[in-house]
Amino acid sequence: MSTGIIIAIFGAAICAALAGIGSAYGVQCAGQAAAGVCAEKPDLFGKLLVLQALPGTQGIYGFLVAVLIMVQTGVISGAPVDLTIQQGLAYLFAGLPIGIVGWWSGIYQGKTAAASILMTGKDPDASAKGITMTALVETYAILALLVSILLLFGIKI
Amino acid sequence: MIIPMKKARLIILKEDRSKVLLALQRIGEFMVISPNENDKTSLAQENSGEKAQMSEAMLRFLNQFCKKPSILDPRPEVNYQVFSKENDKGQHVEDELLSLSNQLNQNKNRISFLENQNANLEPWHSMDIKLENIHETKNVDIVLGYFPENISDEFSHIIKEYEMTYKLFDIGNDGQSVLLLKYKDDKISWLSSLKSIGFVEVSLSKLSGTPDEIISSNKDEIKRIIEDNNKIMDKISGLNQYRNDLALLNEQVLAQQERNNIQYIETIETICLYGWVCSDKVEKVESAVSNVTKNFDLAFLDPKKGEIPPTVTRNNRFLAQFETITDMFSLPKQGTIDPAPVAGIWYWIIYGMMMGDVGYGAIMAVLFYLFKKIKKPKGDMAKLVNVLYYSSFTTIFFGFLFGSYFGETWHPLLFAPLDNPIGFLVLTLIIGVLHIFSGMGIQIAQQIKNGHILDAFFDQVSWMVLIVGLGFLFLPSLKTIGQWMAIGGAVVILLTAGRDRPNLIGKITGGLLGLYDISSYMSDILSYSRILALSLATGVIGMVMNLLARMVSGSIIGFVFAILIYILGHTFNLAMSMLSAFVHDSRLQYIEFFNKFYEGGGLKFKPLAFHTKYIDISDMEKDH
Repeated sequence: MSTGIIIAIFGAAICAALAGIGSAYGVQCAGQAAAGVCAEKPDLFGKLLVLQALPGTQGIYGFLVAVLIMVQTGVISGAPVDLTIQQGLAYLFAGLPIGIVGWWSGIYQGKTAAASILMTGKDPDASAKGITMTALVETYAILALLVSILLLFGIKI
Repeated sequence: MIIPMKKARLIILKEDRSKVLLALQRIGEFMVISPNENDKTSLAQENSGEKAQMSEAMLRFLNQFCKKPSILDPRPEVNYQVFSKENDKGQHVEDELLSLSNQLNQNKNRISFLENQNANLEPWHSMDIKLENIHETKNVDIVLGYFPENISDEFSHIIKEYEMTYKLFDIGNDGQSVLLLKYKDDKISWLSSLKSIGFVEVSLSKLSGTPDEIISSNKDEIKRIIEDNNKIMDKISGLNQYRNDLALLNEQVLAQQERNNIQYIETIETICLYGWVCSDKVEKVESAVSNVTKNFDLAFLDPKKGEIPPTVTRNNRFLAQFETITDMFSLPKQGTIDPAPVAGIWYWIIYGMMMGDVGYGAIMAVLFYLFKKIKKPKGDMAKLVNVLYYSSFTTIFFGFLFGSYFGETWHPLLFAPLDNPIGFLVLTLIIGVLHIFSGMGIQIAQQIKNGHILDAFFDQVSWMVLIVGLGFLFLPSLKTIGQWMAIGGAVVILLTAGRDRPNLIGKITGGLLGLYDISSYMSDILSYSRILALSLATGVIGMVMNLLARMVSGSIIGFVFAILIYILGHTFNLAMSMLSAFVHDSRLQYIEFFNKFYEGGGLKFKPLAFHTKYIDISDMEKDH
């Protein structure tokens, strides 16, 4: 294995790991709020679950980019391409947007989701508004995902 | 479209109150307006609230012991005749369940009492004396009690000092049990010195029989009670078959409660009800009332200035389902344009683009079709299910265009998103421009309707020309035209955006600030790139699941694992993609589309109606 491929693997690892951390924190934060509301109003479970699942997407985006890097570099098929150090670095940097933004936006989206969950607890009809507010945070994770993907497709090997 | 409202004034005789209200509740087209604080009355009784709680509590009680109807069972149905009749059977079941639940409670209390008594008697079980015989005699005091185990030295010291006789029994929770005998002599003094080291006196003389006898008879009684409990449980399970009668009773009491809570103005002989009615349902309300009574006065008035009627929208069957998306944001106000038809079509298309997979679309279609058939959802839930059901078809359609089948790419009709992300990006941006333009188009229509034709031209058309011009700049053949369109649009905005300002400097800064809105239009349009991101996410995760499944599928065990990964992975991906598509599609409507024209802020139409939770009423004609 060349140094280049190792750097690319580091890129894949970091975007799955950081975005995963963000989502895990976000879902945990929303989950705590949802459990509290659920104790009082168990019939809201469905609505709360939707809100709790929202911060989970960053982890999926990170995973997605990680797999795309693995596919492009041949890691997943067991025949890694010999990358130069420059190419490896390119993959690493392409993974950074979703890794970093996924991490932070996951955390902040989780907090927004928790607040929306509490709002839903007080007024179950407001859950759609809460979902929209929570989804606004995700916009930036989606943009970062898009940048990561477009960068990935721009790398020539 | 939004249906205009009429304000109905209904005057009826007091004796007809209940049947008229029932008739109105059945058609569900009359939203009662509460009269002013000082001249209202209602029949609200605490009683009906309690009744509703009781039947609900008995249903819950039944659920504790019996199998609940499964989620796949169809909802029970009754017809209106049955619904409006007295439900003796349900009442009977409720009474019986109530008495059974009381018996269960009594038995529970009795068991805990007996167990407690046994625990107290346990240390004394080797005392072979009938408890009723333990009392002081002419010359001797007898005392039963406990002392803490760790003070036996002090205890024997006091025993010796006062020359008492004693017998120790077992050690219980309260300490060492002991029977003390002493010639009558200064009981207070020896007892208090015993108490000072921790002795506790007990009195068991109220019980009869030896401790052993009492314990065993208590045990027998507990056994009998448990048997009795089993019989009660059997009776409860036997009543489970009448669950629907009880549920029906619950619905009836709730409907009754809703009628009783209605507020009206009354005179000695008549009552007067005000309510909102859709202008196209006026005859329906009139015939419903005239069917049950001849003596009534019903007038339909136009809403006065300052009165805000509730909003009812009616669209064709397909578009009506998408009203739920608008309603979740905010209902349109009376007198504005109902955005549901336009938003609905866009929602439908964009959802399909975000999912974009033939396999997932097919699964969605089957799932939601079955859900509709089996559960027969009602109201907003039904609309939501229909939205997803209809969207499954656009999902399939775009799946064919993108050649995506459960994440596998196979002969795309247009292009595969993974092979041509830039092409897809451009497509999503074009969709975004069209979506935003259709919103601006509605605003133009509104402004023209209100006579502000110039506003429509300055604020909407100029931007549309500018944006199209900017788009043309990317096409070599249209570059020059695009250039002039962009400049023309920008000049109009620059000159007119500040037209409301009072002085020249204000007008110039207003124009410049107006042109600065270009950033918000650009960010709105770029926001549609999420369609690409979500579509790629759905496709690539599906692809990864296939890849993972293929990687392990070498041997037979591997093959089983592969199928497991395949099913679980795609289920997960489908669920998450549906959630994301639902949320982000809604967001595109709410933020990017609605802010171009939509105000919202309408009130919900909440007619007097049957809001059944467990049971459907079969012969009801309802269309919103």
